Amino acid sequence: MNEQHEQLIADYLAGNLDDAGKTQVEELIANGTIDFMEFRELEKLHEDLGSISAPAPGKEMSSKFYTMLEKEKQSVKEPWLKIAQNQIQQFIAELTMPRLAYGLVLLVIGGFIGSQLNSSDSEIDQLSQQVQDMREMMMVNMLEGASAADRLKAVTISSEMTSVDSEAIHALLFTLNNDPSVNVRVQAIEALKRWGGNERVRQGLVKAIAKQQSPIVIVELADAMLELELRNSAPEFRRLIEERDLDFTVQQKLESSIAALM
Amino acid sequence: MDSTSDKALMMKVKNGDLDKLGLLFERYNRPLFSFFYRMCKEAELCEDLVQSVFERMLKYRDTYTGDGKFTTWMFSIARNAHIDHYRKQQREGIPVEIDEERLEVEQEETKVVVNKKEKKELLEIALSRLDEDKREIIVLSRFEGLKYKEIADILDTTEGAIKVKMFRAMKELKDLVNTLNEECSHE
Repeated sequence: MNEQHEQLIADYLAGNLDDAGKTQVEELIANGTIDFMEFRELEKLHEDLGSISAPAPGKEMSSKFYTMLEKEKQSVKEPWLKIAQNQIQQFIAELTMPRLAYGLVLLVIGGFIGSQLNSSDSEIDQLSQQVQDMREMMMVNMLEGASAADRLKAVTISSEMTSVDSEAIHALLFTLNNDPSVNVRVQAIEALKRWGGNERVRQGLVKAIAKQQSPIVIVELADAMLELELRNSAPEFRRLIEERDLDFTVQQKLESSIAALM
Repeated sequence: MDSTSDKALMMKVKNGDLDKLGLLFERYNRPLFSFFYRMCKEAELCEDLVQSVFERMLKYRDTYTGDGKFTTWMFSIARNAHIDHYRKQQREGIPVEIDEERLEVEQEETKVVVNKKEKKELLEIALSRLDEDKREIIVLSRFEGLKYKEIADILDTTEGAIKVKMFRAMKELKDLVNTLNEECSHE
Protein backbone atom coordinates (compact mmCIF):
# COMPACT_ATOMS: atom_id res chain seq x y z
CA MET A 1 0.00 0.00 0.00
CA ASN A 2 1.48 3.38 -0.94
CA GLU A 3 1.28 6.66 1.00
CA GLN A 4 -1.58 7.90 -1.15
CA HIS A 5 -3.69 4.95 -0.08
CA GLU A 6 -2.69 5.47 3.55
CA GLN A 7 -3.83 9.09 3.31
CA LEU A 8 -7.07 7.97 1.70
CA ILE A 9 -7.84 5.60 4.58
CA ALA A 10 -6.94 8.30 7.14
CA ASP A 11 -9.42 10.60 5.38
CA TYR A 12 -12.02 7.83 5.38
CA LEU A 13 -11.62 7.31 9.13
CA ALA A 14 -12.01 11.02 9.83
CA GLY A 15 -15.13 11.16 7.66
CA ASN A 16 -13.52 13.56 5.20
CA LEU A 17 -14.35 11.63 2.01
CA ASP A 18 -17.12 12.56 -0.39
CA ASP A 19 -18.95 9.96 -2.51
CA ALA A 20 -16.19 9.87 -5.12
CA GLY A 21 -13.58 9.25 -2.43
CA LYS A 22 -15.61 6.46 -0.87
CA THR A 23 -16.05 4.82 -4.29
CA GLN A 24 -12.29 5.00 -4.78
CA VAL A 25 -11.76 3.18 -1.46
CA GLU A 26 -14.31 0.52 -2.47
CA GLU A 27 -12.54 0.02 -5.80
CA LEU A 28 -9.14 -0.33 -4.09
CA ILE A 29 -10.64 -2.93 -1.74
CA ALA A 30 -12.29 -4.75 -4.66
CA ASN A 31 -9.03 -5.03 -6.61
CA GLY A 32 -7.11 -6.10 -3.49
CA THR A 33 -4.87 -3.02 -3.19
CA ILE A 34 -6.35 -2.36 0.25
CA ASP A 35 -6.72 -5.41 2.46
CA PHE A 36 -10.41 -5.63 3.35
CA MET A 37 -9.92 -7.31 6.73
CA GLU A 38 -7.34 -4.78 7.84
CA PHE A 39 -9.53 -1.93 6.63
CA ARG A 40 -12.52 -3.24 8.58
CA GLU A 41 -10.37 -3.69 11.70
CA LEU A 42 -9.13 -0.10 11.48
CA GLU A 43 -12.63 1.21 10.94
CA LYS A 44 -13.90 -0.73 13.98
CA LEU A 45 -10.94 0.38 16.11
CA HIS A 46 -11.55 4.02 15.18
CA GLU A 47 -15.17 3.61 16.20
CA ASP A 48 -14.26 1.81 19.48
CA LEU A 49 -11.93 4.64 20.48
CA GLY A 50 -15.07 6.71 21.00
CA SER A 51 -15.91 4.59 24.04
CA ILE A 52 -12.81 5.75 25.93
CA SER A 53 -13.75 8.60 28.20
CA ALA A 54 -11.63 10.95 30.30
CA PRO A 55 -12.58 11.99 33.84
CA ALA A 56 -13.68 15.53 34.62
CA PRO A 57 -11.17 17.90 36.19
CA GLY A 58 -11.47 18.68 39.90
CA LYS A 59 -13.30 21.75 41.17
CA GLU A 60 -10.08 23.32 42.42
CA MET A 61 -8.82 23.79 38.87
CA SER A 62 -11.51 26.38 38.24
CA SER A 63 -10.88 28.33 41.42
CA LYS A 64 -7.13 28.25 40.79
CA PHE A 65 -7.70 29.70 37.35
CA TYR A 66 -9.91 32.55 38.59
CA THR A 67 -7.42 33.37 41.36
CA MET A 68 -4.67 33.55 38.74
CA LEU A 69 -6.86 35.78 36.53
CA GLU A 70 -7.63 38.16 39.40
CA LYS A 71 -3.91 38.43 40.20
CA GLU A 72 -3.13 39.24 36.58
CA LYS A 73 -5.88 41.88 36.50
CA GLN A 74 -4.40 43.53 39.60
CA SER A 75 -0.90 43.47 38.16
CA VAL A 76 -2.17 45.08 34.94
CA LYS A 77 -3.85 47.89 36.87
CA GLU A 78 -0.84 48.68 39.03
CA PRO A 79 1.64 49.54 36.29
CA TRP A 80 -0.88 51.97 34.75
CA LEU A 81 -1.23 53.79 38.04
CA LYS A 82 2.53 53.88 38.44
CA ILE A 83 3.04 55.18 34.91
CA ALA A 84 0.46 57.93 35.45
CA GLN A 85 2.04 58.90 38.78
CA ASN A 86 5.51 58.99 37.24
CA GLN A 87 4.32 61.14 34.34
CA ILE A 88 2.69 63.68 36.64
CA GLN A 89 5.81 63.80 38.83
CA GLN A 90 8.01 64.20 35.77
CA PHE A 91 5.78 66.98 34.40
CA ILE A 92 5.91 68.92 37.68
CA ALA A 93 9.66 68.42 37.90
CA GLU A 94 10.14 69.82 34.41
CA LEU A 95 8.11 72.98 35.04
CA THR A 96 10.30 76.08 34.79
CA MET A 97 9.44 79.79 35.09
CA PRO A 98 9.24 80.53 31.30
CA ARG A 99 6.97 77.50 30.88
CA LEU A 100 4.74 78.64 33.73
CA ALA A 101 4.49 82.15 32.22
CA TYR A 102 3.67 80.69 28.81
CA GLY A 103 0.95 78.51 30.37
CA LEU A 104 -0.51 81.55 32.15
CA VAL A 105 -0.71 83.54 28.88
CA LEU A 106 -2.46 80.60 27.18
CA LEU A 107 -4.93 80.44 30.06
CA VAL A 108 -5.81 84.13 29.71
CA ILE A 109 -6.28 83.84 25.92
CA GLY A 110 -8.41 80.71 26.36
CA GLY A 111 -10.59 82.45 28.92
CA PHE A 112 -11.13 85.42 26.58
CA ILE A 113 -12.12 83.18 23.59
CA GLY A 114 -14.34 81.11 25.86
CA SER A 115 -16.28 84.16 27.05
CA GLN A 116 -16.85 85.22 23.41
CA LEU A 117 -18.19 81.81 22.43
CA ASN A 118 -20.32 81.36 25.52
CA SER A 119 -23.46 82.55 23.80
CA SER A 120 -23.34 79.74 21.22
CA ASP A 121 -22.80 76.99 23.86
CA SER A 122 -26.50 76.54 24.55
CA GLU A 123 -27.15 75.99 20.82
CA ILE A 124 -24.46 73.33 20.64
CA ASP A 125 -25.90 71.64 23.72
CA GLN A 126 -29.37 71.70 22.17
CA LEU A 127 -28.06 70.21 18.93
CA SER A 128 -26.15 67.42 20.63
CA GLN A 129 -29.23 66.61 22.73
CA GLN A 130 -31.26 66.28 19.49
CA VAL A 131 -28.64 63.94 17.98
CA GLN A 132 -28.71 61.92 21.19
CA ASP A 133 -32.52 61.66 21.08
CA MET A 134 -32.44 60.59 17.44
CA ARG A 135 -29.86 57.90 18.18
CA GLU A 136 -31.99 56.61 21.00
CA MET A 137 -35.14 56.53 18.86
CA MET A 138 -33.26 54.73 16.08
CA MET A 139 -31.89 52.20 18.55
CA VAL A 140 -35.30 51.42 20.07
CA ASN A 141 -36.82 50.97 16.58
CA MET A 142 -33.99 48.80 15.34
CA LEU A 143 -34.20 46.57 18.44
CA GLU A 144 -37.66 45.62 17.27
CA GLY A 145 -36.33 44.63 13.82
CA ALA A 146 -36.62 41.14 12.38
CA SER A 147 -32.96 40.66 11.51
CA ALA A 148 -30.44 39.71 14.20
CA ALA A 149 -27.80 41.83 12.41
CA ASP A 150 -30.00 44.93 12.76
CA ARG A 151 -30.65 44.22 16.39
CA LEU A 152 -26.91 43.81 16.96
CA LYS A 153 -26.32 47.18 15.28
CA ALA A 154 -28.98 48.70 17.53
CA VAL A 155 -27.21 47.47 20.62
CA THR A 156 -23.93 48.84 19.25
CA ILE A 157 -25.55 52.26 18.75
CA SER A 158 -26.33 52.36 22.46
CA SER A 159 -22.62 52.19 23.21
CA GLU A 160 -22.13 55.50 21.34
CA MET A 161 -24.59 57.31 23.58
CA THR A 162 -23.44 59.50 26.42
CA SER A 163 -26.64 58.88 28.39
CA VAL A 164 -29.80 56.79 28.07
CA ASP A 165 -33.36 57.32 29.24
CA SER A 166 -35.74 54.78 30.73
CA GLU A 167 -37.19 53.82 27.34
CA ALA A 168 -33.79 52.80 25.99
CA ILE A 169 -32.99 50.88 29.18
CA HIS A 170 -36.34 49.12 28.93
CA ALA A 171 -35.64 48.21 25.28
CA LEU A 172 -32.20 46.80 26.14
CA LEU A 173 -33.54 44.79 29.09
CA PHE A 174 -36.41 43.50 26.96
CA THR A 175 -33.84 42.43 24.34
CA LEU A 176 -31.75 40.68 27.01
CA ASN A 177 -34.75 38.70 28.22
CA ASN A 178 -36.50 37.94 24.96
CA ASP A 179 -34.20 38.14 21.93
CA PRO A 180 -33.89 34.75 20.17
CA SER A 181 -30.23 35.39 19.26
CA VAL A 182 -27.56 34.56 21.88
CA ASN A 183 -25.17 37.07 20.28
CA VAL A 184 -27.69 39.89 20.59
CA ARG A 185 -28.38 38.99 24.21
CA VAL A 186 -24.64 38.91 25.02
CA GLN A 187 -24.18 42.32 23.37
CA ALA A 188 -27.17 43.65 25.30
CA ILE A 189 -25.38 42.69 28.53
CA GLU A 190 -22.24 44.49 27.30
CA ALA A 191 -24.33 47.60 26.53
CA LEU A 192 -26.19 47.51 29.84
CA LYS A 193 -22.91 47.20 31.73
CA ARG A 194 -22.06 50.72 30.54
CA TRP A 195 -25.05 52.01 32.50
CA GLY A 196 -24.27 49.83 35.52
CA GLY A 197 -24.61 52.82 37.84
CA ASN A 198 -28.31 53.07 37.01
CA GLU A 199 -30.45 51.31 39.62
CA ARG A 200 -32.99 50.11 37.05
CA VAL A 201 -30.22 48.50 35.00
CA ARG A 202 -28.80 46.83 38.11
CA GLN A 203 -32.16 45.41 39.11
CA GLY A 204 -32.99 44.39 35.53
CA LEU A 205 -29.71 42.49 35.16
CA VAL A 206 -30.32 40.54 38.38
CA LYS A 207 -33.90 39.69 37.36
CA ALA A 208 -32.67 38.57 33.93
CA ILE A 209 -30.62 35.69 35.43
CA ALA A 210 -33.63 33.42 35.98
CA LYS A 211 -34.89 34.03 32.44
CA GLN A 212 -31.77 32.85 30.63
CA GLN A 213 -31.37 29.41 29.11
CA SER A 214 -28.12 29.80 27.14
CA PRO A 215 -24.97 28.85 29.11
CA ILE A 216 -23.00 31.57 27.27
CA VAL A 217 -25.46 34.26 28.34
CA ILE A 218 -25.50 32.94 31.92
CA VAL A 219 -21.69 33.01 32.08
CA GLU A 220 -21.64 36.52 30.55
CA LEU A 221 -24.19 37.65 33.17
CA ALA A 222 -22.02 36.16 35.92
CA ASP A 223 -19.07 38.21 34.62
CA ALA A 224 -21.22 41.34 34.49
CA MET A 225 -22.39 40.81 38.09
CA LEU A 226 -18.79 40.53 39.24
CA GLU A 227 -17.81 43.64 37.32
CA LEU A 228 -20.73 45.65 38.70
CA GLU A 229 -20.34 44.04 42.14
CA LEU A 230 -24.02 43.11 42.25
CA ARG A 231 -24.02 41.01 45.42
CA ASN A 232 -27.77 40.45 45.37
CA SER A 233 -27.29 38.35 42.23
CA ALA A 234 -25.66 35.54 44.28
CA PRO A 235 -28.99 34.05 45.51
CA GLU A 236 -30.30 34.09 41.93
CA PHE A 237 -27.28 32.14 40.71
CA ARG A 238 -27.61 29.75 43.65
CA ARG A 239 -31.24 29.10 42.69
CA LEU A 240 -30.17 28.48 39.10
CA ILE A 241 -27.64 25.86 40.22
CA GLU A 242 -30.19 24.14 42.43
CA GLU A 243 -33.13 24.17 40.05
CA ARG A 244 -31.51 23.60 36.68
CA ASP A 245 -29.52 20.79 35.20
CA LEU A 246 -26.63 23.05 34.20
CA ASP A 247 -23.50 22.03 32.35
CA PHE A 248 -20.73 21.15 34.82
CA THR A 249 -18.43 23.95 33.68
CA VAL A 250 -21.22 26.55 33.92
CA GLN A 251 -22.01 25.28 37.41
CA GLN A 252 -18.37 25.68 38.38
CA LYS A 253 -18.26 29.17 36.96
CA LEU A 254 -21.38 30.17 38.89
CA GLU A 255 -19.99 28.66 42.10
CA SER A 256 -16.80 30.69 41.75
CA SER A 257 -18.80 33.84 40.89
CA ILE A 258 -21.01 33.35 43.97
CA ALA A 259 -17.89 32.91 46.12
CA ALA A 260 -16.42 36.12 44.70
CA LEU A 261 -19.66 38.05 45.19
CA MET A 262 -20.20 37.02 48.82
CA MET B 1 -16.38 38.55 13.45
CA ASP B 2 -18.95 37.14 15.90
CA SER B 3 -18.33 38.97 19.18
CA THR B 4 -18.55 35.74 21.17
CA SER B 5 -16.34 33.69 18.86
CA ASP B 6 -13.11 32.33 20.32
CA LYS B 7 -11.05 34.73 18.22
CA ALA B 8 -13.13 37.77 19.20
CA LEU B 9 -12.86 36.86 22.87
CA MET B 10 -9.08 36.35 22.65
CA MET B 11 -8.72 39.68 20.82
CA LYS B 12 -10.63 41.31 23.70
CA VAL B 13 -8.23 39.65 26.15
CA LYS B 14 -5.35 41.00 24.08
CA ASN B 15 -6.88 44.50 24.24
CA GLY B 16 -7.07 44.38 28.02
CA ASP B 17 -10.50 42.86 28.74
CA LEU B 18 -8.98 40.03 30.77
CA ASP B 19 -12.36 38.80 32.06
CA LYS B 20 -13.05 37.34 28.63
CA LEU B 21 -10.40 34.72 29.30
CA GLY B 22 -12.90 33.34 31.80
CA LEU B 23 -15.30 32.55 28.96
CA LEU B 24 -12.54 30.80 27.03
CA PHE B 25 -11.63 28.87 30.18
CA GLU B 26 -15.24 27.72 30.56
CA ARG B 27 -15.27 26.59 26.94
CA TYR B 28 -11.94 24.82 26.83
CA ASN B 29 -10.81 23.67 30.28
CA ARG B 30 -12.38 20.24 29.78
CA PRO B 31 -11.11 19.55 26.24
CA LEU B 32 -7.63 20.60 27.40
CA PHE B 33 -7.86 18.46 30.52
CA SER B 34 -8.96 15.43 28.51
CA PHE B 35 -6.14 16.04 25.99
CA PHE B 36 -3.56 16.05 28.76
CA TYR B 37 -5.23 13.13 30.54
CA ARG B 38 -5.05 10.98 27.44
CA MET B 39 -1.40 11.91 27.08
CA CYS B 40 -0.23 11.39 30.68
CA LYS B 41 -3.05 9.87 32.78
CA GLU B 42 -2.16 11.85 35.91
CA ALA B 43 -5.18 13.97 36.83
CA GLU B 44 -3.37 16.35 39.18
CA LEU B 45 -0.60 16.99 36.69
CA CYS B 46 -3.19 17.51 33.93
CA GLU B 47 -4.94 20.19 35.99
CA ASP B 48 -1.61 21.97 36.48
CA LEU B 49 -0.95 21.77 32.75
CA VAL B 50 -4.38 23.27 31.95
CA GLN B 51 -3.59 26.12 34.34
CA SER B 52 -0.24 26.54 32.63
CA VAL B 53 -1.93 26.84 29.22
CA PHE B 54 -4.15 29.70 30.40
CA GLU B 55 -1.22 31.38 32.15
CA ARG B 56 0.67 31.26 28.87
CA MET B 57 -2.33 32.66 26.99
CA LEU B 58 -2.24 35.64 29.33
CA LYS B 59 1.52 35.98 29.19
CA TYR B 60 1.68 35.87 25.40
CA ARG B 61 -1.65 37.59 24.66
CA ASP B 62 0.16 40.42 22.87
CA THR B 63 1.48 37.96 20.30
CA TYR B 64 -2.01 36.64 19.42
CA THR B 65 -2.76 37.72 15.86
CA GLY B 66 -6.13 36.04 15.26
CA ASP B 67 -4.74 34.20 12.21
CA GLY B 68 -5.92 30.60 11.91
CA LYS B 69 -8.24 28.83 14.29
CA PHE B 70 -8.10 29.69 17.97
CA THR B 71 -8.02 25.99 18.92
CA THR B 72 -4.92 25.48 16.77
CA TRP B 73 -3.15 28.23 18.73
CA MET B 74 -4.46 26.85 22.02
CA PHE B 75 -3.38 23.26 21.37
CA SER B 76 0.05 24.48 20.21
CA ILE B 77 0.43 26.13 23.60
CA ALA B 78 -0.88 22.97 25.30
CA ARG B 79 1.60 20.83 23.44
CA ASN B 80 4.50 23.12 24.38
CA ALA B 81 3.39 23.10 28.03
CA HIS B 82 3.37 19.30 27.95
CA ILE B 83 6.81 19.08 26.31
CA ASP B 84 8.28 21.68 28.70
CA HIS B 85 6.95 19.76 31.66
CA TYR B 86 8.69 16.53 30.58
CA ARG B 87 11.88 18.35 29.69
CA LYS B 88 11.90 19.86 33.17
CA GLN B 89 11.31 16.42 34.67
CA GLN B 90 14.11 14.99 32.58
CA ARG B 91 16.46 17.71 33.81
CA GLU B 92 15.48 16.81 37.35
CA GLY B 93 15.93 13.09 36.57
CA ILE B 94 12.39 11.96 37.49
CA PRO B 95 10.77 10.43 34.37
CA VAL B 96 12.05 6.87 34.09
CA GLU B 97 10.74 5.81 37.50
CA ILE B 98 7.26 7.11 36.78
CA ASP B 99 7.07 5.37 33.42
CA GLU B 100 8.18 2.05 34.90
CA GLU B 101 5.62 2.31 37.65
CA ARG B 102 2.93 3.02 35.11
CA LEU B 103 3.97 0.07 33.00
CA GLU B 104 3.76 -2.27 35.97
CA VAL B 105 0.28 -1.06 36.77
CA GLU B 106 -0.69 -1.52 33.15
CA GLN B 107 0.55 -5.11 33.19
CA GLU B 108 -1.49 -5.84 36.28
CA GLU B 109 -4.44 -4.20 34.62
CA THR B 110 -4.00 -6.50 31.64
CA LYS B 111 -4.68 -9.51 33.86
CA VAL B 112 -7.79 -7.87 35.21
CA VAL B 113 -8.91 -7.23 31.68
CA VAL B 114 -8.38 -10.91 30.80
CA ASN B 115 -10.79 -11.88 33.49
CA LYS B 116 -13.34 -9.23 32.81
CA LYS B 117 -12.81 -9.20 29.07
CA GLU B 118 -13.36 -5.51 29.03
CA LYS B 119 -12.45 -4.42 25.57
CA LYS B 120 -12.56 -0.79 26.46
CA GLU B 121 -9.87 -1.08 29.10
CA LEU B 122 -7.75 -3.17 26.77
CA LEU B 123 -7.97 -0.43 24.19
CA GLU B 124 -6.99 2.14 26.80
CA ILE B 125 -3.92 0.14 27.75
CA ALA B 126 -2.96 -0.30 24.10
CA LEU B 127 -3.33 3.43 23.54
CA SER B 128 -1.13 4.24 26.51
CA ARG B 129 1.56 1.89 25.17
CA LEU B 130 1.68 3.66 21.86
CA ASP B 131 4.62 6.05 21.32
CA GLU B 132 3.75 9.55 22.50
CA ASP B 133 4.03 11.21 19.08
CA LYS B 134 1.64 8.65 17.58
CA ARG B 135 -0.77 8.82 20.50
CA GLU B 136 -0.78 12.60 20.24
CA ILE B 137 -2.05 12.51 16.64
CA ILE B 138 -4.80 10.01 17.49
CA VAL B 139 -5.85 12.07 20.53
CA LEU B 140 -5.96 15.35 18.61
CA SER B 141 -7.83 13.84 15.68
CA ARG B 142 -10.17 11.27 17.25
CA PHE B 143 -10.82 12.78 20.68
CA GLU B 144 -10.35 16.52 20.23
CA GLY B 145 -11.90 16.54 16.76
CA LEU B 146 -9.15 18.58 15.09
CA LYS B 147 -8.82 18.49 11.31
CA TYR B 148 -5.63 17.00 9.84
CA LYS B 149 -4.71 20.47 8.54
CA GLU B 150 -5.01 21.93 12.04
CA ILE B 151 -2.87 19.14 13.52
CA ALA B 152 -0.33 19.76 10.76
CA ASP B 153 -0.22 23.46 11.75
CA ILE B 154 0.30 22.56 15.40
CA LEU B 155 3.07 20.06 14.63
CA ASP B 156 4.55 22.28 11.92
CA THR B 157 4.33 19.73 9.14
CA THR B 158 2.15 18.99 6.10
CA GLU B 159 -1.40 17.69 6.07
CA GLY B 160 -0.32 14.71 3.96
CA ALA B 161 2.36 13.75 6.48
CA ILE B 162 -0.20 13.86 9.30
CA LYS B 163 -2.59 11.60 7.37
CA VAL B 164 0.16 9.05 6.80
CA LYS B 165 1.18 9.22 10.48
CA MET B 166 -2.44 8.83 11.56
CA PHE B 167 -2.88 5.74 9.38
CA ARG B 168 0.33 4.18 10.69
CA ALA B 169 -0.48 5.06 14.31
CA MET B 170 -3.89 3.42 13.95
CA LYS B 171 -2.31 0.36 12.37
CA GLU B 172 0.19 0.08 15.23
CA LEU B 173 -2.61 0.52 17.75
CA LYS B 174 -4.54 -2.27 16.04
CA ASP B 175 -1.47 -4.56 16.29
CA LEU B 176 -1.06 -3.67 19.98
CA VAL B 177 -4.71 -4.48 20.67
CA ASN B 178 -4.35 -7.81 18.85
CA THR B 179 -1.18 -8.66 20.80
CA LEU B 180 -2.90 -7.84 24.09
CA ASN B 181 -5.88 -9.94 23.03
CA GLU B 182 -3.60 -12.89 22.28
CA GLU B 183 -1.81 -12.46 25.64
CA CYS B 184 -5.20 -12.54 27.31
CA SER B 185 -6.38 -15.66 25.54
CA HIS B 186 -3.14 -17.54 26.37
CA GLU B 187 -3.45 -16.87 30.11
